[in-house]
Amino acid sequence: MVNLLYTELLKLKRSKMFLISILGSVVAPFMVVVASYVHMKTENPAQLITFDEIFYETNLYTVLIIGVPLYGVITAYLFGREYLEDTLKNLLTIPVSRISYIMSKLVILFMWIMLLTLVSWGLTLFLGILGQFEGLSTLLIVEYLGRFIAGGVLVFILSTPIVLVAVVMKNYVPTIILTIVITLINVMSANSEHRALFPWAAAGDIANGTLQPTYPAEISYTIIFITSIIGFIVANVYFKKVDIH
Amino acid sequence: MSAIIKTTNLTKVYGNQTSVDHLSMSVKQGEIYGFLGRNGAGKTTTIRMLLGLIKPTIGEIEIFGENLFKNQKEILRRIGSMVEVPGFYENLTAKENLLINSKIMGIYKKNAIEEALEIVGLQDETKKLVGKYSLGMKQRLGIARALVHYPEVLILDEPTNGLDPIGIKEMRRLIKLLAEERNITILISSHILSEIEQLADTMGIIHGGKLLEEVTFDDLRKRNRRYIEFQVSNDNKAVMLLEKHFNIFDYEAHDDGNIRVYSYLGQRGKMNKLFVQNDIEVFKITMSEDKLEDYFTNLVGGGTIG
Repeated sequence: MVNLLYTELLKLKRSKMFLISILGSVVAPFMVVVASYVHMKTENPAQLITFDEIFYETNLYTVLIIGVPLYGVITAYLFGREYLEDTLKNLLTIPVSRISYIMSKLVILFMWIMLLTLVSWGLTLFLGILGQFEGLSTLLIVEYLGRFIAGGVLVFILSTPIVLVAVVMKNYVPTIILTIVITLINVMSANSEHRALFPWAAAGDIANGTLQPTYPAEISYTIIFITSIIGFIVANVYFKKVDIH
Repeated sequence: MSAIIKTTNLTKVYGNQTSVDHLSMSVKQGEIYGFLGRNGAGKTTTIRMLLGLIKPTIGEIEIFGENLFKNQKEILRRIGSMVEVPGFYENLTAKENLLINSKIMGIYKKNAIEEALEIVGLQDETKKLVGKYSLGMKQRLGIARALVHYPEVLILDEPTNGLDPIGIKEMRRLIKLLAEERNITILISSHILSEIEQLADTMGIIHGGKLLEEVTFDDLRKRNRRYIEFQVSNDNKAVMLLEKHFNIFDYEAHDDGNIRVYSYLGQRGKMNKLFVQNDIEVFKITMSEDKLEDYFTNLVGGGTIG
């Protein structure tokens, strides 16, 4: 498994996708911090925007708006490139077991999401310090590090249905369309009291501690868990049985 | 020689279409086995089944005497393969691409990658990314990748597809070299008769998913050599006369007084005269017309292969 992970990392060498994903992860903190700074300095100097708010909003946008399509593109890239570059037939005849193949990709996806999460958190902190936002404390830094990581982990856990689509459709496009649909539902359900029933929206609420009282938290956790497990099992069963053409 | 690859009633059905139909083939140790068939005959599906990429609907595959699906991992480790046009990570160099295979297979032999690249003549292309390779270079790199773990069997699906004549010649030289110097058993598929003819020891002909024939080239050449066939009243006496007067030993005596003579074809009039002078009745003299290509055309039921 270690060698398999090493090769997965090697495949990313000179890959533009890595740089593009970093740029993608920069969007939320940059947008939130710069917009807050501009708002505070030009439109309403009396309104104080705290570090707590910029951390909260960055995490909110990262998990609900930017994260799903960005991590979805990474998922599509990791799984889809083996079809598009026609390298899967080589890997499976070396042989790599089909389950190990999926697991190694998932581990890389997790590491990638965590890295981007940390970039997002770190940039928010850095830009916030530059912008001299108030309310920064060690406790706040640690608390939001935990929330960012929780958001990243939840989005990763919910990546299995996206993996399933990538494996079944063997193409980037359907996977990206799915992530756009998920993001749209996240946006549309932002003001709904029932959003805790939609796993990706629930993930955003859990990460930011804003779960609505409409449903018990266990319902949201269960829905996220079931969505993930179903995606994982179906993706593995399908991939184990499918013929590689 | 024992069979290294053996399939029994191998069948693959997609919906109403049978791609491979009860195919039983046998590849012997140390030979180059040519798997010949027209496009869409079922060659690639068969090869993908041999490599575990496609699961057969029914049938058995034995490689190295073991059931492929019971011990797939260990069996595939002893096989090198290239299926159609090989795919590579185009953002990586040739060495890095081969390193992926080496790492996964746990090959720690120093210089294994360099050695494989040298065999295919890509040892100097160390900095070029594979995305910038020509098709011919990619095909050669595909062979290098198949060789990097010192396989006992090489399975190559249409390795000359898309290559120019020089590339085809180079690939042929490479395959022969591997068979001779490394004593690798090679299964190579092609839709080009001349390719298989120049490379293979044994040939399996597939058409419409069925293996129509499996034959060694020695037998085939013999079968398809031009000959004169006499039907005579006393074949024993006739062959003795041929040996004595024409020094002919290259003949076959068949049933019903039929004798096939494979040499001195221009002397058939004199042979006839000799038989008659020695009281042997000659009922029939025919000249064979079969050539290799006609043989295939007849076998696959019209049209040409390739």
